Amino acid sequence: MVMLSQLLRFKLKDENDEQAPLSDLSVDLFEGEHPPVTGLYLNHSTKQKRSLPWSEVKSIDWSTRTIRVADLKAAQQETTDSMRKVVLLADGVMDALVLDLQNRRATRANDLQLEEEDDKLVLSAADIGSNAILRRITAGLYRRVTKSTLYDWKYIEYLRGDPGAVKSEAGKHLRISRLPPGEVARLADFLPYLHAAELITLLADPKAADTLEMMSPERQLQVFEELDEEQALRLLALIAPDIATDLLARLQPATMRSYLERLPPKQAERIIELLRYPEYTVGGIMTNEVVYVRGELTVIEARETLREPLKNPDFIYLVYVVDNEKERILRGVISMRDLLTAPDETKLEEIMDRYVITLQPLDSAAASARRVLDSHMAALPVVNKDKRLLGVVTVDAAVAEVAPRSWSEQAPRIFS
Amino acid sequence: MSKATEPQGLEPIDALDAKALPLNPRPVSRGLRVNVRGRSVNLRGMRRSPTGLLRWLAILGPGLIATSAGNDAGGIATYSQAGAKFGYELIWVMLILTVSFGVVQEMCARLGAATGRGLLDLIRERFGIAWALFAVVIILVANGGVTVSEFVGIGAAMELLGVSKYIAVPLGALLIWYLVIFGSYRKVEKILLLMTLVFFAYPVAAFMAKPNWSEVAHGAFVPTFKADPAYIFLVVGLLGTTVTPYIQIFQQSSLVEKGVARRHYGPERIDAYVGAIFSNLMSISMIVATAATLYVVGQHEIGSAADAARALEPVVGSAARVLFGIGLLGATLLAGAVLPLATAYAVSEAFGMPKGVNLDFRRGKIFFSLFTALIVIGVVLALIPNIPVMQLLVGVQVLNGVLLPIVLVFILLLINDKNLTRELKNTKLNNIIAVGTLVLITSAVVVMLGGQLLGWLGIM
Repeated sequence: MVMLSQLLRFKLKDENDEQAPLSDLSVDLFEGEHPPVTGLYLNHSTKQKRSLPWSEVKSIDWSTRTIRVADLKAAQQETTDSMRKVVLLADGVMDALVLDLQNRRATRANDLQLEEEDDKLVLSAADIGSNAILRRITAGLYRRVTKSTLYDWKYIEYLRGDPGAVKSEAGKHLRISRLPPGEVARLADFLPYLHAAELITLLADPKAADTLEMMSPERQLQVFEELDEEQALRLLALIAPDIATDLLARLQPATMRSYLERLPPKQAERIIELLRYPEYTVGGIMTNEVVYVRGELTVIEARETLREPLKNPDFIYLVYVVDNEKERILRGVISMRDLLTAPDETKLEEIMDRYVITLQPLDSAAASARRVLDSHMAALPVVNKDKRLLGVVTVDAAVAEVAPRSWSEQAPRIFS
Repeated sequence: MSKATEPQGLEPIDALDAKALPLNPRPVSRGLRVNVRGRSVNLRGMRRSPTGLLRWLAILGPGLIATSAGNDAGGIATYSQAGAKFGYELIWVMLILTVSFGVVQEMCARLGAATGRGLLDLIRERFGIAWALFAVVIILVANGGVTVSEFVGIGAAMELLGVSKYIAVPLGALLIWYLVIFGSYRKVEKILLLMTLVFFAYPVAAFMAKPNWSEVAHGAFVPTFKADPAYIFLVVGLLGTTVTPYIQIFQQSSLVEKGVARRHYGPERIDAYVGAIFSNLMSISMIVATAATLYVVGQHEIGSAADAARALEPVVGSAARVLFGIGLLGATLLAGAVLPLATAYAVSEAFGMPKGVNLDFRRGKIFFSLFTALIVIGVVLALIPNIPVMQLLVGVQVLNGVLLPIVLVFILLLINDKNLTRELKNTKLNNIIAVGTLVLITSAVVVMLGGQLLGWLGIM
């Protein structure tokens, strides 16, 4: 067990007794929970950094602070380009922003702890305490390590502050992926925007989309604009159409158009439909990804028919009963509970609720949102003058519309 | 919402006459017609960015506030002193400084937009813990000094309004502490900002005092150099109070707070330039107003706030003292709250410590202690009996001037780091002006310190 601040005062010695100071270590962040050291770096100046692979290390002599290697002459010249790909402990990880996932906060790594693990040296913990700072500035005079400020690297996420750096590794980071998207979004709201964007690129697409949905609107836009186009498009296809609409509506018209042209047709149609309504109307706060089914089906047929349509939408608690799928004339509503518990052979028409309160797409958003909240329903449907089902205003959207801004940022989104 | 014309929810939806459903009568805004996926649609949901005057108002913001914050107690004292002591002679410094100030502020704004991080964060990440500690000490000394000067200002303002500073300063500090910690600061901020509007009397006073405009022009465009230690001292003071380290930190973090991303930075740079020009026009008018009222009648020393207030007499006559007091109180309370807050923020950020006024005390220990300590130190030092108010205020600005080159070097190194700022990195012209500013300030400081040293050694 050794702290990086101490290790950086070690020297390298080869079999011909040549010596060189150790300046940095590289690690493979994606290898296991405690990333192994992959290389040693020799020179201080960036122009002529030279490196040795970890396999060259013969032994570490702790008492004389020497790392014995086979041959120092085997060290490779590093270029600026090759340096960009590696993660360095002293130059990169130390002092950078890291996420302490146990406490759900961003902090800085004041020092790093390494451990020997059968022939390898692995990054085992980050020290965020103030005596780590003291250790570093006193050049080895002060050496105390307190256990309480050491955080296991297993629960630490390192961010480079460069969304472009980790493209190929998207989805590989298991640590951050274990948190629910809401918590990741909350963490991201308190990070510099480049770090937040990097966080999104670390996540697998479905989780990234969910996280993006839950960020504050300003942060959403900042992060979205930092993503590369391919990923932006993939996420846009996955996020709820109402949120995607609010996001696209704030882009330049030309950029918005190019995204709409390239999105999968279904999602593009939904977004274009929603974009037709001003933000202060019901249409501006509704979502049109709704589950609906024909009334003449029996319960068991409906369950079969809905298997596919239920897979994607966020809001599935209420299923709307319509005349036919094409015209979507609203006839009634049925809750998911009824659909699961009603006798198999009953027709939906017999058990659906026909007494539906509907909203008009061009009504005022604020007044209609209050109506949703007063009704204590999970959502109210939005229909046009022909009673065609256009979408729903969920209770989440209603809360977001009615609550003061500071509230709506704290309010958890439940349905959409 | 339209009035219900049918019994919604009381009859089955089938039974309702479709035509009876209210068709929306609300007029809705014209949308944006876009050709997309082979058809033309009218998109009313597009949020179009404001145009015309509104667009400018949206851009002007952080820079204008940050730079105007420079006209606080220390600023007013230094500009008044410069006007009283040397008349119009120092205006040329302010003209050069407008260019430097604008460029430096713009660099900080750009650094904030390009990285999304504050200055101390970047120093920590780029140069490591030792330099970060060094920078923190510099910032603490500089901002601590300015904080003291704000509380001195509160005392001076309240004495003008007839309240003893031994009562006013602790009360003002307590008020600031309470407002910030318990979160109602934002509401009060606007009142304080309104109070500072009094200082718009300065440009008016500058005209109404009927200065000798040819002398003003001479002072503005013909640089004069004097071996007088007081002259050089004031030049450094002017540098320090105009291009203040804390305004740079404030500018950068307010851009971060505003959420300006690098690809939207372009028009934001105007904000920094406009802020610099506006704030310096204000400063110049303070110099002119003071010179035209005090210098010309032979009063070359400003000993108290009451003397400084006399510069406003051409406009408001005998009400000058009270009005000046109100303006000074607003400006100092404002800066007295923002400074300790911004300093505590920046420092705890650099150390990765929990921060922000929304945290409870246990988690934000360092943040709260730092904030409280800065205020307490400010109050204690400001209440030292018989303190020469004006000299202290100017002295703090000189200290800022001395520390400024160090902060400028950090900013220059960071903004020229291509890995950090990419396409927003400094242009050649930026660098020439910034390095020129650095050289100017450093040499002024060296000349001043050298002069003092020689003075002590008894050579001069």
